[in-house]
Amino acid sequence: MTEGEEHILEPQHWVERYGDYLFNYAIVRVNDQEKAEDLVQETFLAGLRARDNFQGKSTERTWLISILKRKIIDTYRKQYASKESSLREYEQDISDGDFYRAEDPFRGHWLEGKGPHSHSLMPEGEIEQEELMRIIRECISRLPPNLASAFIMKMIDESGSDEICKDLGITPSNLWVMLHRARLKMRECVEVKWLR
Amino acid sequence: MLKKMKYRVMVFMSRRMIACDEASFLISYRYDNKLGLYRWMGLKMHLLTCHLCRKYVRQIKELNLAVDRYREGCAHPDCQHHLDREAGLKIQQVVGRELNAK
Repeated sequence: MTEGEEHILEPQHWVERYGDYLFNYAIVRVNDQEKAEDLVQETFLAGLRARDNFQGKSTERTWLISILKRKIIDTYRKQYASKESSLREYEQDISDGDFYRAEDPFRGHWLEGKGPHSHSLMPEGEIEQEELMRIIRECISRLPPNLASAFIMKMIDESGSDEICKDLGITPSNLWVMLHRARLKMRECVEVKWLR
Repeated sequence: MLKKMKYRVMVFMSRRMIACDEASFLISYRYDNKLGLYRWMGLKMHLLTCHLCRKYVRQIKELNLAVDRYREGCAHPDCQHHLDREAGLKIQQVVGRELNAK
């Protein structure tokens, strides 16, 4: 297709052409096979219903991905809507009883065994890409869902902070504390997995 | 005697300086924001005395690099996630039905 030419939709080929691509995009962001498959199906159906709005300026794939992105954000929003009380807690509290001492005189210091152990997170030598992918994916999947969505939007999608706050309906203070907690948990998980 | 004094000095310092929870928060926070002078100095002072938080700085940097590699790997065409064959067929049927209904 030459530049300037309008793109057309061919829904009869969507699953075969873009099924894997959309699934891959979704599973990295929701970490759940069944949920990712549902999202792919919902994206195709939403695409069919909205096909009269397709203006042909972007490719089919780009258009479908933009629908999928909105669907993923809706999934995240639902998680947040059911976590209102814990969001208030995030706003106020940067500490986490799982990692830091709660009693004086060393309140807020690392709990025994909860701080970083090894000098480096990476094992010596070259890490296999496959192994790295497996560990990071597994550690993200162990994050509480609301922390995972903030972490994924920031670190995987590289979305701007304003955009994340707007999409998730949270304040910047919520976001910084959630990213801090997500990094705390990710660091611990990755260290444990690589030391094992 | 020396041990007791060391303990008292540690307690004294821990009450006047930021603790590891705030330091680790700032280590994460500064990836996305600029630290003000007061917070920056508080973090620097803490890092001078806390070897665990110095390790934390290094490990968070490595974590970010690992996540960068993960993201690049996910964007690669060889990324190993594929739509399950059965799920693909099911979606094809649902899409086909919707297409025919139009």
